[in-house]
Amino acid sequence: MIEVRDVTRRFGRLIAIADASFSVAAGEIVALLGPNGAGKTTMSRTIAGILAPSAGDVAVDGLSVRADPDRVRARCGMVTDAPSLYERMTLRAYLGFFCGLYDVARPEARIADLCALLGLTPVLERRLGTFSRGMKQKTAIARALVHDPPVLLLDEPATALDPEMTQTLRELIVSLRARHRAILLCTHDLDEAQRIADRVVIVDRGRIVRIASTAALRAGGRPRAVVVVRGDAARIRAALVAAGVATEALATANGDLAYRYDADGAAEANTRVLRALLEAGASVVSLVDEERTLEEAYLATIREARS
Amino acid sequence: MRKAWLIAWREIRWEIWGDRGSFLRQGVFFLVPLLLILTSRGEAPGPRLDRTIILLAAQSALLPAISGVALIASTFSQEKENGTLVPLLAAPIRDLDIVVGKLVGMLVPMTLLSVATLAVAYLASIWTFGARAVQHALTPELLYALVVVSFFYVLSTGAWVLVVAARVRSSRAAQQLSGILIAITLGAFATAGAVAATLWDGWGILALAALIAALDLVALELARRGWQRSEVIARL
Repeated sequence: MIEVRDVTRRFGRLIAIADASFSVAAGEIVALLGPNGAGKTTMSRTIAGILAPSAGDVAVDGLSVRADPDRVRARCGMVTDAPSLYERMTLRAYLGFFCGLYDVARPEARIADLCALLGLTPVLERRLGTFSRGMKQKTAIARALVHDPPVLLLDEPATALDPEMTQTLRELIVSLRARHRAILLCTHDLDEAQRIADRVVIVDRGRIVRIASTAALRAGGRPRAVVVVRGDAARIRAALVAAGVATEALATANGDLAYRYDADGAAEANTRVLRALLEAGASVVSLVDEERTLEEAYLATIREARS
Repeated sequence: MRKAWLIAWREIRWEIWGDRGSFLRQGVFFLVPLLLILTSRGEAPGPRLDRTIILLAAQSALLPAISGVALIASTFSQEKENGTLVPLLAAPIRDLDIVVGKLVGMLVPMTLLSVATLAVAYLASIWTFGARAVQHALTPELLYALVVVSFFYVLSTGAWVLVVAARVRSSRAAQQLSGILIAITLGAFATAGAVAATLWDGWGILALAALIAALDLVALELARRGWQRSEVIARL
């Protein structure tokens, strides 16, 4: 559905995106991750057909942004971190205006459906300037969906939303994936990305440094385990050294001792650790494999790319 | 052009009509000619009164036009700063529709305001100086010329200002450059008008009108070329 092919975007001497290629299929959520200034917003604007690539091309639903930007724009819905609304307009007039720009066939019905979905029906006749930040963001989401686009470009869409609305938004995004929409989610919220993204694209300083499925990225680091024990601290530490694993002490709330260790070859490492601890007279409260969070995987990828 | 009209209608309905404060601000255009009338009361009919009445009419028609051009600069640069331009640029509309929509959205109300101010000034002049003196100084041709010139002034200078506002980053820079542009074009219009009026028994004015119309077409074409969404969004 989205095909980014060798795209470079320059602003004068600054290269905002360098030779980027990736794709987003219909029914897929891809998270575009990267530090501030990495080129995420430039990328989403380029895909949306509002910023022409300096080199390369983007195909959206088979249409080139270079050759057919108008038709590309008609197929994309875009939400930015700032709602950016015309604050003197009422909600109904605002959505009606964008229905007109996107040639929506039955605007009143579409507006009613979207407002019901996002809980905006009671404020249809209110001016947007009187809305809270969260309501404004919901309005921006409704605006992006007025034409029921096959491609959604979400640039920090959950900014300023309360937890309840964030969950509603998450459910909405997932339901759109189920309806075969291609969704590109630019975000700093790695927890959110971990929950819903099928794949991640990590960019740093305009370059793509990693494309992987979320699961593969999280599994890509060294496997680690955390053991929680009770007993004499000095003997336990000596036992762990004897087991031959590199450990890191963790803080605990109830006086138990917790250690994280690299568990390369988990079966052997865990057996060695358990045996050593039991021989040292410790009581083992728990031993669990620790999967990397997306945040850890992301930070490791960025560090690796920079080194 | 349907989408250009949608944009223009939004500007007129929500940004001008929906801004109650703007009505109070526009009131100054009615006050300035009235003050001139008050200070010129008691003047005897003659060339001096004719000049005063013509100045009054010119002021009434052109002040709203100048304000209209300044408004184009400020509303457009505010849209850039507030980010409201991004959803508009992301919609499937041509660059020309945005340019024309923004221009028409200012052109219509400002031309109506020019006509209304001129009408008020005309009636107040008749009340103060008498119908014969006013009709002697302000011929229907001159009134018509004033309205047309103010219309063309907003159109041509507005198109230039739109390009300037699109090409600079900050609202302040846009307004400063637009101010310079307004001053230069106003000077050029006034000088050309004064010179043209003395040529060929008034036919010079007609030639000037044709020249301005041609310049408007050039300005619109340059605005279309200079106002490209990629360039605009690159400066947001």
